[in-house]
Amino acid sequence: MEILRNTKFDFMRYRHACAGVSALLLLATVGLVVLGGKLNLGIDFAGGTQLTVRLDEPPQVDELRSLMASSGVGDIVIQRFGDPEENSVIFKTQLEEGAEEGSRDRIVAALRGRYGSTSGKLDLNEQGAQALAAKLLDLDPDRLRSLDEAEAAAHYERVAAALAEVKRQVGLIASWEQVAAAPALGAEEGGAASPALTPEALAALREAAELGHFSVIGAENVGPQIGHELRRNGMQAIVLALLGMLAYIWLRFELRFGIGAIVAATHDVVITLGLFIVMGLEFNLTTIAGFLTLVGYSVNDTVVIFDRVRENLRQNRRGTLVEVMNESLNQTLSRTVLTGGTTLLAVGALLALGGDVLRGFAFIMTVGVIVGTYSSIYIASPLTLAWDRWFGVEARSKRRAR
Amino acid sequence: MKNGLLWRGIAIGAVASMSVLSAYPLKENLKLGLDLRGGIHLVLQVETDDAVRSETDKDLDRLEGELRDKGMTAAAAERSSDQTFVVRGVPGERDREVAEIVDDFLPGWNWQRSGELLNFKMAGFNLNEIRTLAVGQALETIRNRIDAFGVSEPVIQRQGERRIVVQLPGVDDPERVKDLIKNVAFLEFRIVDYPFRGASAGSVEEILANYGGSLPGNLEIKPQIVRDERGREIGRGYYAVERRSAITGRDLRNARPGLGEFNQPVVNFYLTHEGGIKFGEVTGNNIDKGLAIVLDGNVVSAPKINSRINDAGIIEGSFTQQEVEDLSTVLRSGALPAGITYLEERTVGPSLGQDSIRRGLKAGVVGLSLVVLTMIVYYRLSGINAIVALALNIAIIFGALAYFGATLTLPGIAGIVLTIGMAVDANVLVFERIREELHRGRTVKSAIEGGFGKALSTIVDANITTLIAALFLFQFGTGPIRGFAVTLSIGILASMFTAVFVSRWIFDLVLSRRSRVDRISI
Repeated sequence: MEILRNTKFDFMRYRHACAGVSALLLLATVGLVVLGGKLNLGIDFAGGTQLTVRLDEPPQVDELRSLMASSGVGDIVIQRFGDPEENSVIFKTQLEEGAEEGSRDRIVAALRGRYGSTSGKLDLNEQGAQALAAKLLDLDPDRLRSLDEAEAAAHYERVAAALAEVKRQVGLIASWEQVAAAPALGAEEGGAASPALTPEALAALREAAELGHFSVIGAENVGPQIGHELRRNGMQAIVLALLGMLAYIWLRFELRFGIGAIVAATHDVVITLGLFIVMGLEFNLTTIAGFLTLVGYSVNDTVVIFDRVRENLRQNRRGTLVEVMNESLNQTLSRTVLTGGTTLLAVGALLALGGDVLRGFAFIMTVGVIVGTYSSIYIASPLTLAWDRWFGVEARSKRRAR
Repeated sequence: MKNGLLWRGIAIGAVASMSVLSAYPLKENLKLGLDLRGGIHLVLQVETDDAVRSETDKDLDRLEGELRDKGMTAAAAERSSDQTFVVRGVPGERDREVAEIVDDFLPGWNWQRSGELLNFKMAGFNLNEIRTLAVGQALETIRNRIDAFGVSEPVIQRQGERRIVVQLPGVDDPERVKDLIKNVAFLEFRIVDYPFRGASAGSVEEILANYGGSLPGNLEIKPQIVRDERGREIGRGYYAVERRSAITGRDLRNARPGLGEFNQPVVNFYLTHEGGIKFGEVTGNNIDKGLAIVLDGNVVSAPKINSRINDAGIIEGSFTQQEVEDLSTVLRSGALPAGITYLEERTVGPSLGQDSIRRGLKAGVVGLSLVVLTMIVYYRLSGINAIVALALNIAIIFGALAYFGATLTLPGIAGIVLTIGMAVDANVLVFERIREELHRGRTVKSAIEGGFGKALSTIVDANITTLIAALFLFQFGTGPIRGFAVTLSIGILASMFTAVFVSRWIFDLVLSRRSRVDRISI
């Protein structure tokens, strides 16, 4: 299949109109930032506490919010997380100075009051394998301690580890059936796994422990100092990467091409950032990775076109730079579209299926590939042209003549 | 060209089989990052000022002793900041002797007289040395504790001047390990000045009132926070204690869990020889006073000193059995030389990591299928050539990750998915060139040759710019982001190899089987 064969589009004809559109978009982003369009800073940059919690029923965000408010947890963001059937929520608070663990403890305490164990029994969803093993050893439902203490301890540790494995798989043990069905560790694959718990152990555990209705499956705490550093380093990395690429293109091509490519990449970053803010997505470390990758992609895309321009210029064809550019753009158009397309398919899949953690990254790349492809054609090339007109050899000699 | 065919084939086969061999089975050979596997990531900062302060205390003690030995019985030293102290009661005419003592015993100090006072300030080199040592010792101490806990493949690294990164993959009981490291166990014994006997004061105001509104310079107030089993605060009291500690955790030789007189869990400790002498002196001089056992700035108990204590003692408090065991481990492994602040702390539950893997895998498979489909529709049989190259590319990524022991993280998976989309670019560049050459009426053979030749410099230039981005990303990033930079870089490098070298070989191989080639499916 070949869809873009021998095209003769006059791309350069629309360069002024496109410059206008881009300028508008850029201004809109700048306006958005200046007029208080707040970046939704994640805890990576703002500092703060983030807890990911799984419940055994669909979480009611409003109810959770009033629960937190009544427990004295200040400013808090509560969001659903992951697929609906995962029943998970994220709690996010800014860090108060000096209260390193404060908000985390308060959130967990509030959750424990509402969803946790009420009887003071061991909560299988909250305690780790070690506490469970100790408890089982204490109860000794399998009557092993009288025979051999060490053997008994090892036995209950294996049982606890098997239950931990179940919890590892599901995040939250919702029913005793799941506990009863937990397979013993080290069972032959394919073979029928024997249950980890003997009926006696199960009965003893049901007596002495219970299944809380929530489980903290992830917790992050970033101090304001780190957040500040990460923000600075992130900006630095993007700027340095741009300069590095400028240097490379300058070295391999000419300065005018480098300027075109770098300005176009900056253009892509700013416009994508604008959309990112409008969408209210969270700004975090992965986001910085997204922007840097976008810079790489955008310049990559531009370089392919410039490479062709350089080649055509070398062949000393007749025609103005505008004509050579148009010709080169047409020659590479098929590649530009196809590579943009396959990249879009990949990051689109990531956006649709990759989950919440990668959403920001996938969004940046999805928008970035589109904007980057556009800018390679309509921003980078015309800019090189303009640079040539203002500072090029001919322009300079003309000025001198005057 | 034909002779080369075999050798190139062997080279490609070798790369492919090496990749597969080092990566297979994936489950065992691939190192998963904390975000996929679950575990704890901590960044902590060593509060080196603590170490400086205790060094200052030690040195001023020493100076005071030496001065008194020389007959300047009125000499009294007092710390004025972390790294300075003042000495009173030394007559001006004896400055020469002071200079000798300082030369002999306190080489790391600068001093000068101002009126009645001698002002001491720690020298820069001494300060730096103490700080460096403190961080090194903290690193060592934390390593010992983690080893004692038995975590597999822990990462404990120094980062920058006074930070330490701790990564504990696959830890299933995060709270306890965290407590163990977190347990700074900066242990100090300090003489209680008020309340003179009995329970703690109910409030700071009560203590201040006792001293007529302001605390004497040699004292400070330490809280006693009482917690229940779950760590919730249930009560709080205060003590006015001496600023200077009688002994610290450094003077401990050993610590063991034990039982107190009411069968409650306690820690038995044993002092070093030097520590024992110091402790004996202090306790001997303060019989009947309270001795506050201060752990990380919090008074755990303040028993009365009944008699001189020389080399062993008991730490009592409202401890559980587990706390007593952990505290002993921590004290034994060497108390941290300084306090620690947590700058960053991330705990990922294993189930969260598994969800991430599942999602990443799904996105990867769908993305890959879509790209494969596009390539076949667009380039037909040559598309299959590109797909073979892509498959090899993915194998190389996993093989290289396994071979170099690099860590696969969630953003790393994103990097692989992205690579799937971008890696075909090199193939596309070549194929488009071949098509152009064909349109110009070149024969298949020369079109292929020309296509590869002309696309090569473009491929290199374009990919290097992306590599530059990946390089800065690696420099900037921490764990997960580095994982992304790594997979992206490997993917780009591999795509140059597969698209240029491997695809070319496949074309040559196909062509060599036929004597005359008029058409090619592209």
